[in-house]
Amino acid sequence: MELVLANHSSYPRVGASREQQRLRRAYAQRERGEISADDFNRVQDSVVAEVVEEQAHAGCELLTDGQIRWVDSISHLAGRLDQVEINGLLRYFDTNFYFRQPVIKGRVAGNGPLVVEEFRYARAVSPRPIKPILTGPYTLAVSSIRETPLYRDLPTLVLDLSEVLAQEVRALAGAGAEVIQVEEPAILKHPKDLRLLHKALKPLSQAKGSSQLALYTYFADATPLYESLQELPVDILGLDFTYAPRLPETIARLGSRKTLGLGLIDGRNTRMEAAPQVFPILEKILPRLSGGIAYLNPSCGLEYLPRDKAVAKLRLMKELRDTFLQRGKR
Amino acid sequence: MSRAKLEKLGLTLPLLPTSTVGSFPKPDYLLQARARFARKEITQKELEVLEKRATEFWVQQQEEIGLDVLVDGEQYRGDMVAYFADVMPGFRMGGLVRSYGNRYYHKPIIVGEIRWPGPMTVKWWRFAQGLTSKPIKGMLTGPYTIMDWSFNDYYPDRKSACLALARVIRKEVEALVEAGAKVIQIDEPALSVRPEELPFAIEAMQMVTDGVPAYFITHICYGAFEFIYPRMLRFPVHNFDLEMSNSGLDLIGLFKKHPFNKDLSFGVLDVHSHKIESPALIKERIAKALQVIPKEALWVDPDCGLKTRTVEEAQGKLRSMVAAVKEIRQALDKAPKRKRRRIEVGSVVKKRRKKIRKHKYKKMRRRMRHKKK
Repeated sequence: MELVLANHSSYPRVGASREQQRLRRAYAQRERGEISADDFNRVQDSVVAEVVEEQAHAGCELLTDGQIRWVDSISHLAGRLDQVEINGLLRYFDTNFYFRQPVIKGRVAGNGPLVVEEFRYARAVSPRPIKPILTGPYTLAVSSIRETPLYRDLPTLVLDLSEVLAQEVRALAGAGAEVIQVEEPAILKHPKDLRLLHKALKPLSQAKGSSQLALYTYFADATPLYESLQELPVDILGLDFTYAPRLPETIARLGSRKTLGLGLIDGRNTRMEAAPQVFPILEKILPRLSGGIAYLNPSCGLEYLPRDKAVAKLRLMKELRDTFLQRGKR
Repeated sequence: MSRAKLEKLGLTLPLLPTSTVGSFPKPDYLLQARARFARKEITQKELEVLEKRATEFWVQQQEEIGLDVLVDGEQYRGDMVAYFADVMPGFRMGGLVRSYGNRYYHKPIIVGEIRWPGPMTVKWWRFAQGLTSKPIKGMLTGPYTIMDWSFNDYYPDRKSACLALARVIRKEVEALVEAGAKVIQIDEPALSVRPEELPFAIEAMQMVTDGVPAYFITHICYGAFEFIYPRMLRFPVHNFDLEMSNSGLDLIGLFKKHPFNKDLSFGVLDVHSHKIESPALIKERIAKALQVIPKEALWVDPDCGLKTRTVEEAQGKLRSMVAAVKEIRQALDKAPKRKRRRIEVGSVVKKRRKKIRKHKYKKMRRRMRHKKK
């Protein structure tokens, strides 16, 4: 079984040193009109290159651009769509992070590519494959205020957003993305809508071409939904083990027809995982997985950690993976 | 409704008491001084002189604007969790973590047993209270929020960390009361994040407030209240201070479904908007609040701390708020008195319960009669 080290999605954009805080300063300068949009973009570019390099240096094999340009997981995409305005702050699930809530004023429509250019830039500066991230149609929809009567019911909005995101998946696949990650943390809070999610993921699946479509859930226990998640039209399922003490048993019992993204490294806490916590789980579930490959990744985006801890977690992930595999050989 | 509690503490407040959530913007001279202090260019003592000057400014401003229950303005604090974690043994300051947009904070790490280092806020409370005859609120961050907004490398789980913090915050509450504080606000903005943890968050707050002779307020904001309401009403405080305006007053819908049975500090100012709300807009918001909350139980304040606004914006917003409240008070005074003058949510609930008990009793008697037949 190949165990690939993958970053999850976001990465801390500032660190302890003055140099690592240049994006924060540039942001403030841009807000005050002291630097141009081009100057600001140059700083963003340099930070993307820096975090890509940092992930690679820590041993990651499938990287992300760290979502450095995203204001948050919701408004970065929703704010680029027609008929969407961005409103006040709302807490992002159970984190101490706040996103700007979209207000849907009319029928949503794409207004050009969303993250393709970001993906292209990250790939150009990366020594290893880059995984682009999209927040899924269901999570975008439930995080929005539906002001227009067109979307009195949630499913209509979810399906319209799905059409918009399918175009983006097609564009990303065309741009050469090997794995495209769609994030749907909200579905774990609303399991009754799983059938709707299934329907919403179909256009994305049809648009993916030869890319692998990954669905990542987090911030809640996926165990009760595990069997249903296996039915979704995606190639990879990413799971957050930090909320799910019974998940290893469930996977060991049911196996997996899909490639799994194993979120065993806590992306929300600084405590470093030890081999006795991680190895028994790997021993239990790896033999039950099909496809010959699994991803080992943090449980969620690493932006919830300070930069030094985020890189330490990635290094730890490599150390654990290498020790585990060597132990297996012996 | 806790007017009686306030009166027992010797506090007579007007209808719709006005207050603020805690923090005010720091004047430029203080921001510069804090930066210089961080670079070790000035001493703690030199910084404190300026913190006191800024505190005096804000106490005076609040009096001048006409607020009823004042705060010290937190000119000496940075982040609401880091301030406490900085002085409590058991914590180490972690690196920067983003909270939204371009805002970052140093997220503390619990690395050992948390202990009370002696009074953490009393000195500033005394200083501010010495400047005014109006009540100054004691301002603390609650155990659940400190736990949730810290990393935990030490305690086996979140509950143990939270209860350890509750024991420490209880000591700070006792110290504030001993100094003379009668109104204490314990902020728990993280309360709604994990509904399954509400029972131990309540247990922790019980440990903090149980038997303490003070009027307790808790501030909660930017959360998914629909997951914890009405269960959150079991939280052992007298007053919930809630962010309402940023979320389009949508909590009113929840209160219509299930009556809110505590005092409510109703956020009428969006603290993330540069725009100064007009008194007319604020009056509209208060009028909506009065549809679901008895006037005796309603307080008026901003959605959250005003530290993210400029000094001028904060002053402008508060002036608008106080003007709106004055007009509403006048209108309420002129309104014809109802027969039952004091509408207390508590008594409404009691009556409803009595009615339900009566109904159940009748039903039981009917069943028994039926059985006999």
